[in-house]
Amino acid sequence: MLKTYEQKVETITEAICELGRLVLDSNKKALDALKNNNIEALNDITVPSKKLTIKSNEIDNLIVTTLALYSPEARDLRQMVAYLKITNELIRAGSNTKTFIKGFRRSYSEDINTAAILEYVIPLLKASTQALSITISMIENNDVQTIEENYNRVLVEESKTDDLYSMIEKNILKLISKHLELSKDYFDLLSSFRRLEKIADRASSIANLLLFANLGGELNS
Amino acid sequence: MNQEIIEKTKNKSKDEANKNLITKVNVNKLNLWYGDNQALHDINIDIHEHKITALIGPSGCGKSTFLRCLNRMNDLISAVKIKGEVIIDKKNIYDKDIDEVSVRKKIGMVFQQPNPFPKSIYDNVAYAALKHSLVKKGSACDELVEKSLRDSGLWNEVKDKLNHPGTSLSGGQQQRLCIARTIAIQPEVILMDEPTSALDPISTEKIEALMLELKQKYTIITVTHNMQQAARVADYTAFFHLGELIEYDETENVFINPKLKKTEDYITGRFG
Repeated sequence: MLKTYEQKVETITEAICELGRLVLDSNKKALDALKNNNIEALNDITVPSKKLTIKSNEIDNLIVTTLALYSPEARDLRQMVAYLKITNELIRAGSNTKTFIKGFRRSYSEDINTAAILEYVIPLLKASTQALSITISMIENNDVQTIEENYNRVLVEESKTDDLYSMIEKNILKLISKHLELSKDYFDLLSSFRRLEKIADRASSIANLLLFANLGGELNS
Repeated sequence: MNQEIIEKTKNKSKDEANKNLITKVNVNKLNLWYGDNQALHDINIDIHEHKITALIGPSGCGKSTFLRCLNRMNDLISAVKIKGEVIIDKKNIYDKDIDEVSVRKKIGMVFQQPNPFPKSIYDNVAYAALKHSLVKKGSACDELVEKSLRDSGLWNEVKDKLNHPGTSLSGGQQQRLCIARTIAIQPEVILMDEPTSALDPISTEKIEALMLELKQKYTIITVTHNMQQAARVADYTAFFHLGELIEYDETENVFINPKLKKTEDYITGRFG
């Protein structure tokens, strides 16, 4: 392929990583706030939705231009198609992060069993953040062997979030049965935790797309 | 709202880019007849310096005829009549006081089939430069040959066999030799008439990469039937049909958002 094509791909890859890092950064800040039991700090975390949308549109247009001008084939074509879908997954992950922070902030209060909630949410957020972080490193480094290793690591983190969410759900239902008057708050918290599980799903989907891009097979995100 | 911001930013950067464009070839109301048959109709186009402009269109649309007008190659056909202006550096090349040899020195041409002279590799590159007295035999000529072969990406492959015949090279190498021969006389514009249509994909890629390098120094106008090639290498694309210039724009616009349905139909393979 021509140097100009390689430059375009490099620009797109870097822009996608930047988009991913914006989402990851918000998740990391939220994790720090919860770890430090500094719930107020969540108010300072903003997920830049507008910026994410603008960046994602820019990337998608770059991909369309690259497809139109260079007619890539085989691995190059799979990579472009995967990237086009990855931007959407990252936007959805960003939206999940935003909803989690907003929902958690709204429903978390001294009335609920804060110790139990933090005990559950921190590992859940840690696992989803880790899943996202690994997928971004997969975009940055697309060496075939590393891709496979990292893909498996993302699946492990995603599976962790599934298990943690099931445990949390069970435990929150127990808490609700003891304090029915707080059931709305607990359900809202549970709903916000669901977003973290979704973030891990998005990460797994991105990992799948990167596997398709690098190793081939059928598109299955 | 976001879309508006993106559009404004895009338009702003386009305007800024347009400000830096210099017109190298300005064609005004160019008409050409082969006997009674009109092959070009009122062509108006500004071709920008240090850019690659691709001419695309179905067979017989006039793109090669138009290309040959730019270095007065059609003068060699007796039945041809031309009206209109081709202004290069503020001078109409069809003015009576202009000599066509000096035009062709300024505007080099590479053809579809590689056509090296039946001479050595060295002589192929040196021949025109010596004829035009650009250099004298000796070290100056050696330097020019080496530089031209380096610029055409051929030096490393031929430096040890400069006195071998040009025709002993592969098709792709012969085409790069022809490019070296063209740039040896230091033209300002290079015309390419389907320069890769007789070459394999690897040689094609080498020529395309070379075109992208050469545009830093020269203005390149190329005719191609390969639309992917136009998309890959050209900064601007002109679509011809039945002797008319239908659409001319930045390649990205022509291939993604063509203004006219006819262009879109051709690009998407619906006719042609």
